[in-house]
Amino acid sequence: MSTLTLRAAPPERLDLLNINPLALSRLSQGEAERLEIGTTRTGVRLGDCFAVALDRSDTLTIEGGHERLDRVGASLSEGTIRVAGDVGQRLGAGMAGGSLIVAGNAGPYAATGATGGTITVEGDAGDHAGGAVYAAKAGLDGATLIIRGAAGAHLGDRMRRGTIVAGRAGAFAGSRMIAGTLAALAVGDHPGFGMRRGTLLVGTHGRMSPTFVETGTHDLVFLRLLATALRSLSAEHADLLGKPLRRYSGDLATIAKGEIWVAA
Amino acid sequence: MAAWVKGGATDAGTAIEAAASLLAKARAPVIAGLSADVAAIRAAYDLAGRIGASVDTAGSAGTYAELGSLSRVGALTSTPAEAVGRADVVLVVGAAPWQAPILKRLIDAKPSRGRAAGSERALLAVGANATASLSWPAEGGLTEAVGVLRAHARGHLAGDDLPGQIAARLAAAQYGVLLYDAAELGEVGVEMLQGLAMELSETTRCFTLAVGGTGQDRAVVPVSAWLTGQAPRSGFGRRVPEHDPWRFDAARQVAAGEVDAVLWLGAVPVSRPDWLSRVPSVALVADGEAQAAEVVIAVGQPGRDHGGVLWNEQRAALTFWPASAPSDLPSAASVLGALKERLVTGQAASRSEPAC
Repeated sequence: MSTLTLRAAPPERLDLLNINPLALSRLSQGEAERLEIGTTRTGVRLGDCFAVALDRSDTLTIEGGHERLDRVGASLSEGTIRVAGDVGQRLGAGMAGGSLIVAGNAGPYAATGATGGTITVEGDAGDHAGGAVYAAKAGLDGATLIIRGAAGAHLGDRMRRGTIVAGRAGAFAGSRMIAGTLAALAVGDHPGFGMRRGTLLVGTHGRMSPTFVETGTHDLVFLRLLATALRSLSAEHADLLGKPLRRYSGDLATIAKGEIWVAA
Repeated sequence: MAAWVKGGATDAGTAIEAAASLLAKARAPVIAGLSADVAAIRAAYDLAGRIGASVDTAGSAGTYAELGSLSRVGALTSTPAEAVGRADVVLVVGAAPWQAPILKRLIDAKPSRGRAAGSERALLAVGANATASLSWPAEGGLTEAVGVLRAHARGHLAGDDLPGQIAARLAAAQYGVLLYDAAELGEVGVEMLQGLAMELSETTRCFTLAVGGTGQDRAVVPVSAWLTGQAPRSGFGRRVPEHDPWRFDAARQVAAGEVDAVLWLGAVPVSRPDWLSRVPSVALVADGEAQAAEVVIAVGQPGRDHGGVLWNEQRAALTFWPASAPSDLPSAASVLGALKERLVTGQAASRSEPAC
């Protein structure tokens, strides 16, 4: 297990796009320490901020996180990255495979554009988790995002594929959703605002937009399949499906093929 | 030339020297405001590129609400002249547009061109009302209200309640205009409003028109696009322009303690944010006052002290404004140029001290 140990709070935002087990496995100690991770003209390198210990394995541990560590595990395609603390924006952005586990909190845009693999945030996530960044076509795009704590506003904004499981979420959860599945124990106001397709499963919710219409209570085979799929990620979320569920269809402002399942 | 360093009046050379030394030692400087003529905005991007600064504008909340929506769904827009000349139905979305100068022009005149020429102009309102003939308070919030109108326009909701009536009036219009303020409506709301205009344009003509805009943001957007290929909030820390609306949000950067120097460019007067006093700052402002920043240099106001290309709200274009009261105050562009010269010869960027 390779380890990067943060020596002190970073003096600037750091970009860890190029720091993953596969890249480090091909580098010598010196080469790894010279990797550019700074975002200002001072040219901060990996060895400036981290004590580097490499063993060429497919697992990388980052000891000591900070909210200034951006793009941790971005574009990860294989292997595992564990972070013992917090991370900054765009955790696992564009990730294609592998596993990413953050013990602390994540900044905004976690898992944006991620097409595969599993991203787990044990703490809270910022706004736009699983959401699209500026000018991107889609947010989460096939990966699995698990947020044990609370997510901010716009969770799963414009997500296109994949699954998001969150404890609590802020306003506009699943806004402008293109497709995919989002499950949360509680969401804020206006869940699914502007969604086209996709499935939201929520325990409780804030204000529901009038552009969602209640379509009754259903017992569908799909819901049991969903429960089986969710149980491996979070039993608590799977249990939501054991209760009678009210179904809302919307958003009527768009093509209205989305649905929100609310556990009564 | 009026200039102040730490509140004390001084001459131009000393102030530029003080500003240069403040910026030269900064790890992550920010050039903010950008409320100025095109020449000064260009000079600001040039300086940012030389010192690895990031750039943010005075009205970026509204600007990014519009750009975010534009980048995803496009936009159906009109100009003030077209709206005044052709619109027979105007929907005022929210409270802010009621304060815009264009509203008086819309109220005072009837449409004079196109198919609606000579007919009465109906003013509808959602969210807030002053003199509209049909008004919907929309207690659920503006964003939600726009969604409801769009659902009516699509035919997914029906009824003769207020939103139903407003949607019907817009659908029956020859030339509808949706007047909004992007900062008030937010990105999701603007995107929904564009969707409403697009639904209505299936059967009639309907366009959006954004009012307001803080500072010279509407000039900064095209200038940054032609200089960097990106939207305004770009950073040059890694020498190439990187666009990141979240990372280069100046207010966020100051709150997170990531900034160690700010250059505020306000040659066209614009209100200064309160975070400016929390970081070492240089202010190039037309309304020069000693307390505005650590280093203050009074510059000419384009269109008053010297000529300059500014955003023309009425014509919705960049136009040249000659000096209305020429003075010997330096232009912001020339001060930024002098700063750049000073910083280029003074050698910035080094790894002399430990980076971490």
